[in-house]
Amino acid sequence: MEPKIGVFLCNCGGAINNIDFDAAVKKVAKFPGVTCVNLSSDLCLEKGREKMISCIRGENIERVVVAACSPEFQEHIFREVLEKAGLNGHLLSMANIREQCSWTHDGDVTEKAVELVKMAVNRVRLLQPMEKKELPVNREVLVVGGGFSASNTALQLSRVGLRTTLLEKEAVLGAGTEELESFYGFDTGSMISAVEVDKNIEVLTSAQMTEVGGKIGDFSVRIRQEGGEILRKYGAIVLATGHQTELALDSEPQLRAEGEAISGLNIVSQEQFCCMLGNSGLETEPKTIGFMFDFSDENSRFPTLTTLNNALAAKKKWGSEIYVFCKNVKVDSEGMEKLYREARDCGVVFLKSEAPPRITAENGRVKIEAKDVFLGEDVILACDVLVAEELYLPAEGAENLSSLLSIRRDSKGFFQDENVHLYPVGSEKKGIFFIGGCRGDLDLGRVLTDISSVVMKVHELLSSGKILVELEKVKADPQKCVACLTCIRVCPHGAIQLVRVDGSKEVAEISDLACDACGICAAICPAKAIKFQGYRDEEILAQIEAIQEL
Amino acid sequence: MESKNVLVVGSGISGVASALELANAGVSVYLIEKEAVVGGHSASFCCKATDICSKCSACVVFDKIKEAVIHPQITLLTNSTIKKLSGELGNFRVEIIHRPQYVDEEKCIACGLCTDVCPTDPKAIYSPFAEATPFSYILDEGLCLRFKGEKCDLCLESCPTKAIEFELKAKEQELSVGAIIVATGFDVFDAREKGSLGYGRYTNVLTGLDLEQIFTREGYLRLPTNGKEPQNIAFIQCIGSRDEGHGYCSQVCCKYAMKLAGLIKYQNPDTQVTIFYIDLQTTGKGFAQFYEKYKESIRFVRGVPVEILQSSSGELEVRFEDISQGKVCRDNFDLVVLSVGISPRKNSWDLARILGINLADDGFFDKKDSLSCNETNVDGIFLAGTCQGPKDIPDSIAHGIAAASKAMQMLAESASRRRGN
Repeated sequence: MEPKIGVFLCNCGGAINNIDFDAAVKKVAKFPGVTCVNLSSDLCLEKGREKMISCIRGENIERVVVAACSPEFQEHIFREVLEKAGLNGHLLSMANIREQCSWTHDGDVTEKAVELVKMAVNRVRLLQPMEKKELPVNREVLVVGGGFSASNTALQLSRVGLRTTLLEKEAVLGAGTEELESFYGFDTGSMISAVEVDKNIEVLTSAQMTEVGGKIGDFSVRIRQEGGEILRKYGAIVLATGHQTELALDSEPQLRAEGEAISGLNIVSQEQFCCMLGNSGLETEPKTIGFMFDFSDENSRFPTLTTLNNALAAKKKWGSEIYVFCKNVKVDSEGMEKLYREARDCGVVFLKSEAPPRITAENGRVKIEAKDVFLGEDVILACDVLVAEELYLPAEGAENLSSLLSIRRDSKGFFQDENVHLYPVGSEKKGIFFIGGCRGDLDLGRVLTDISSVVMKVHELLSSGKILVELEKVKADPQKCVACLTCIRVCPHGAIQLVRVDGSKEVAEISDLACDACGICAAICPAKAIKFQGYRDEEILAQIEAIQEL
Repeated sequence: MESKNVLVVGSGISGVASALELANAGVSVYLIEKEAVVGGHSASFCCKATDICSKCSACVVFDKIKEAVIHPQITLLTNSTIKKLSGELGNFRVEIIHRPQYVDEEKCIACGLCTDVCPTDPKAIYSPFAEATPFSYILDEGLCLRFKGEKCDLCLESCPTKAIEFELKAKEQELSVGAIIVATGFDVFDAREKGSLGYGRYTNVLTGLDLEQIFTREGYLRLPTNGKEPQNIAFIQCIGSRDEGHGYCSQVCCKYAMKLAGLIKYQNPDTQVTIFYIDLQTTGKGFAQFYEKYKESIRFVRGVPVEILQSSSGELEVRFEDISQGKVCRDNFDLVVLSVGISPRKNSWDLARILGINLADDGFFDKKDSLSCNETNVDGIFLAGTCQGPKDIPDSIAHGIAAASKAMQMLAESASRRRGN
């Protein structure tokens, strides 16, 4: 049976003045299925809304068309009106006769307004209600990593009452905190003991994830430990696997002098230099030290920070002459400009050059040649130690994790796709989050921010143990699905899987929890088995037909 | 009695992010904003997409603002400022002053009839900007004839919903909240302070913010003087950053300048673009590819010009030191864009005194210590966004979410302590 459609036109208090509303009402009333047409001047205000509710109830209206302003403004209000009147909020279609009709044209636009209403009427007839339901989720969180970010995330999650498992591949917690200890006075020991006494945190060391299945609220994770494998269930997964560095000399052959061996020279990494600084029994203190960065990778913040910290520390400890070769100093993090000024005030010399310096050996010392842009001349410097440029990369195993979880990485190999809607800590799969060094080269302030952000996001998803979702917003028809797997391949959210129905046939099933309603699967399905509520083919075609008829 | 409500001061993107997160966690939030519209600076930035997204995050802002405004857990108080604070964590009392809003937001339907009839120029009653939220019109006391003692009822009579009321007075209200998040944002550096660059005197010297607003409004760039398409544009970086008064990098200018340059180049590939800089900050997620794409077609000159002169024909002569040659050079441009930076709010000191929180030596609000990101010296008061130091949109959102997280954690702890007692 044809549903009863009610049409509500609004002249926006007279602001829509080039539509002949009396004529429009007469035409709209003749559309099939339309049982009542109302004209109002203040539909979105309380008085108008109340009249709308009583009309829907009084006339037993089953579908509603509102012809007024842009749905951008008031659609949510009209959905509420429908719910209050006892209808499903999705049985509403809006015709924008203000911004897209009256205000865009001069002269009488009654005809266009009527067309827009007709389109909305044709669409609303086919709309289907969508129910909401609370689905249960597991409240346990898996945090992968055991360093500063991972441990602090677990501690903060515990403060809001969520239980976590820390999964560390090394034998002990607290890897990679040396720099925090030396430059910020951070106490790794007390962090580890806080984790160990926390009743909400379970620590699994020398352990690795080997298989992940399921979706948000219900991930099943296989973990390999010494002595066997275990299978656990988690509601959310947080990756805090950190970063690693690699000497740019290894990967960038142009930095080497041709034919000349530089092995055996004092060319060290920042980390090795940090160890030299901490070593009190050094035979000879370096008198001249060179640093270089920003040649092989011009998009990292971190090398500037470690260079400044190490240069200042060396200056204070040994009083060495320090020369820093770089292209640009990256000061776009908190406190960096201050640190840069402090270094210059202490006598650290910065030499900026467009091309990477040439590095050769000379009498057992490292010879650096570069064209300084300020002097406009070549600078040749022999130094006792060269702290070479480092590349900042995601920690080992990132590739493996990304394929285990089927999540994308950015152009530099870090977790998190370069999509602004996922920032700061989100992934394309609901329930999977990233923190700190594994998603980019972040300074301490940004890492701390990440940690608290993740805690908030995880709390929102899991704290109540259930999530309210709209059911079957996107649905695959098991009769039409031929299990070609196209949708499973294109779904960025990992929301689709094959399930067996009626004993034998396998068909695609879309998880309401994991689905982000992006519509890609519905557009691509070759069998037209997937329907996206509100944008189904028949709904769109019915609107096109409406204009053809008139 | 302990309150679980949270007050968020400032409705820019970080305040909105804080408010939304808390509201989604079931906390009741008061979001107060001193202006009539929500969104702060971030709501006035333009989309910088070319044929692909340039990852400027401007679009993320509108979605968040809209979500916050309609959220049932968020009470939005526009035109409001804090007068006094008393109490402590878990039990703050905040006195708020509402300046009158002569157009009732509940009744205004944004029909625009009042603007049509308003006799002043510029109009005294208007829609703040196209995507403003709430979308209701606002009335400028400084322009309206009635506030100059004249009789004028034109807008009053034209309003179909009787939304305009002139008889309103400022109101006071006391809120009781458990925690406070300060998200008061930044002031854009006033480029007129650098007098030798001619901003405010030469029509074709603009700021980065002016350019953002031109693109938002028009969608393309024309010379303010003659409406022709600019052929030769210079961007000057670090205006109000990394100088004597500003011992910090504003973190946003290199990125917005390059993205705007990319947009200009996309619209007209023949336009020459030069960027004068100290150090290029080509960092951040998603920026590497962007920089690779444009680094050949944009001319980069190391060194920040100190003087701009305008010739009689309107050309702008930029004087700068060519560092590599060690001499002073002159180049002509038809448009110069000053990449203005982020400055602390001029009235930060007033709010710092009311709330009892510390200011850092650069003028931004101070964090408790280097291992905290949002905490202040007062328990229960947290910082979010650029009021703590320069940040771009994604970092501001992240910082806002983190502040919400800290507030929620602290309230949860203080509640469980009380239960334990």
